[in-house]
Amino acid sequence: MRFRAKIVDVACLNHFTRVINTIAKLAKTCTLRLTVDKLYFILTDKVANGGVSMWCELNQGNFFDEFQMEGVAAEHNEIYLELTPENLSRALKTAQNAKTVKIKLTNKHCPCLTVAVELPSLSSSSRIVTHDIPVGVIPRRLWNDFREPSVPDFDVSIYLPVLKTMKSVVERMKNLSNCIVLEANLNGEMNLKIETDLVSVTTHFKGLGNPPWEDGSQNSTQDRDPESMAEARIDIRKLLQLLAGQQVNPTKALCNIVSKRIVHFILLHEEVSLQYFIPALA
Amino acid sequence: SPRTMKCVIGGTHLRVFGRAIHAIARISDEFWFDPNEKGLALRSVNSSRSAYACVFFSSMFFQHYCWTAEPELCQTKRQLPLTCKLVMKSVLPVFRWLNTLERNVEKCNIYTNVNDCHITFKLFCKHGIVKTYNLAFHESEPLQAVFSRHMCPNVLKIQSRLLTDIMIHFPTYQEEVTVAVTPIKVCFKSYTEEEIDFSKAMHTKIHLNPDEFDYFQIGVDSEVTFCLKELRGLLGFAEATSASVSIHFDVSGKPIAFSTEDMMVEASFVLATLADIENRESSQQSLCLSQRQKRARGSPGKARRQNKITDYSSKKKSQEYFVCTKTHFIKYCIFQFHSLFFGAVSFKEQDVISHTLHSLATASDAEDDFDNEQLSQVV
Repeated sequence: MRFRAKIVDVACLNHFTRVINTIAKLAKTCTLRLTVDKLYFILTDKVANGGVSMWCELNQGNFFDEFQMEGVAAEHNEIYLELTPENLSRALKTAQNAKTVKIKLTNKHCPCLTVAVELPSLSSSSRIVTHDIPVGVIPRRLWNDFREPSVPDFDVSIYLPVLKTMKSVVERMKNLSNCIVLEANLNGEMNLKIETDLVSVTTHFKGLGNPPWEDGSQNSTQDRDPESMAEARIDIRKLLQLLAGQQVNPTKALCNIVSKRIVHFILLHEEVSLQYFIPALA
Repeated sequence: SPRTMKCVIGGTHLRVFGRAIHAIARISDEFWFDPNEKGLALRSVNSSRSAYACVFFSSMFFQHYCWTAEPELCQTKRQLPLTCKLVMKSVLPVFRWLNTLERNVEKCNIYTNVNDCHITFKLFCKHGIVKTYNLAFHESEPLQAVFSRHMCPNVLKIQSRLLTDIMIHFPTYQEEVTVAVTPIKVCFKSYTEEEIDFSKAMHTKIHLNPDEFDYFQIGVDSEVTFCLKELRGLLGFAEATSASVSIHFDVSGKPIAFSTEDMMVEASFVLATLADIENRESSQQSLCLSQRQKRARGSPGKARRQNKITDYSSKKKSQEYFVCTKTHFIKYCIFQFHSLFFGAVSFKEQDVISHTLHSLATASDAEDDFDNEQLSQVV
């Protein structure tokens, strides 16, 4: 198993750092899957996560100048690592003015992802900062746990409002309640509601638009009354984690609601796609 | 005879003075306020006595500085104590908002008030506003660290900005850092206690070229581990004065000193370092060696003081910064407290008088069991 990658371009480094920062805000530990073409940050819906799951995909070519990966075996040319993304975030934080950043899989006292940052210095040779981030190697027999989640059979699919606005609304609501109801219809309308003994607050968004889905998933929505709301009651902190972690406005942001079951968020940037699943509360 | 002190800090220097207070605050909740005829020293030591800070402002730093014995004033019948100890919680608010301080305060008067055990800080602000802080002090034995910088075989000097740029790579929670040197290499790396799961902690290492240092002299290869949290205070102060930082150290177990110096202010932070007591067997023999032999300068690798650690480790438990019974390393205290019968001790003088310390009365603390052996060791 070998992995070596190098970033040389400042903009790429910056972008990669922002992606890692977003992941770090969403998961304390997650799985990093490396293939020849892509990197995936995966969180599976364990109880420990509160049932949340995440699937984030990056094309390595958009970030790395050099990328060499040799998986566990020829016919399984992939590497799965368990890692704490916060560590990666910290390592990259002070590397923004680096000449090069190399990331490689090493074996120090335990398997590590070593981030080697070459920084400019006053002397003839560069300053080198290395961060050894301990990782766990996930054996092949467990790889099935980390398959890409399928798009659920949703009732309503709708584009999200401007994330910044949505975030500030949810932030205020968080002070009043632990759960939030997210409901939307096929008329491009979405409501965010909280209800407690003392107060209920609803924020209405209109004209959001509904994304067209080409495959069979539209079947369940074809006969649907466009005014009818699909709703799910979810943990407000999980929603806020997703919204607060976004450092850059995505090119496309939408969510698929399976009434009373789950909300599936999809955030697309140019080189990164992020899917986030929040289960509905009982 | 009683002494009084009055000084005036001009607006432009307030930031530096404030930064010194902030730096010292990182070490302890209280500090010694130590004026003498040469200037004002602020000193502090942490509760485990593994870190000592001293900032000395020469009289030139002040717009006006006056330290006198005024026989007339002793009519108040109360003698000014030799040294005043102030609580940081009372002083820090005076200098908390440095930016505001710089913008709004024209000068700051400090004077000791013999009558009621107070030190008064008077800030003359814009628009005729005067803020007066009367802070109570309590008497205390003077504080002094026993440490001679000029005896250290390893000396580095680096721009403060550069040192900050290096330390920034360590996460803010990183408590301890190791500096490893040979005559041709230098690196700073994070240190993790063995007890903590190695497989969880991130390890950071910074490799530097000796070229980056203004001065680089290594007499003995060594790796010393010190507390980064305590150093950060000095770094903040050094940046305010744009000074370069000198680092004096020896082998593991011996203290490391970070100091800055310019015409008006000298600051020094002396930190204990972890002692490596791994090689117990080999060190048993060296117990017999005389002090002089072991202190051969420039003999790399031989100057390990493990035996000294094992010797009084049982006595020193109370002074360790934390007890690590399971690991190879224990820390030991390097400081002693002496009650001096006469006057406060200025920073410069300590080197000169340190050789006489063993002859002075020691405070009655059990910890001051440092025998003469140790004294000659450190001094």
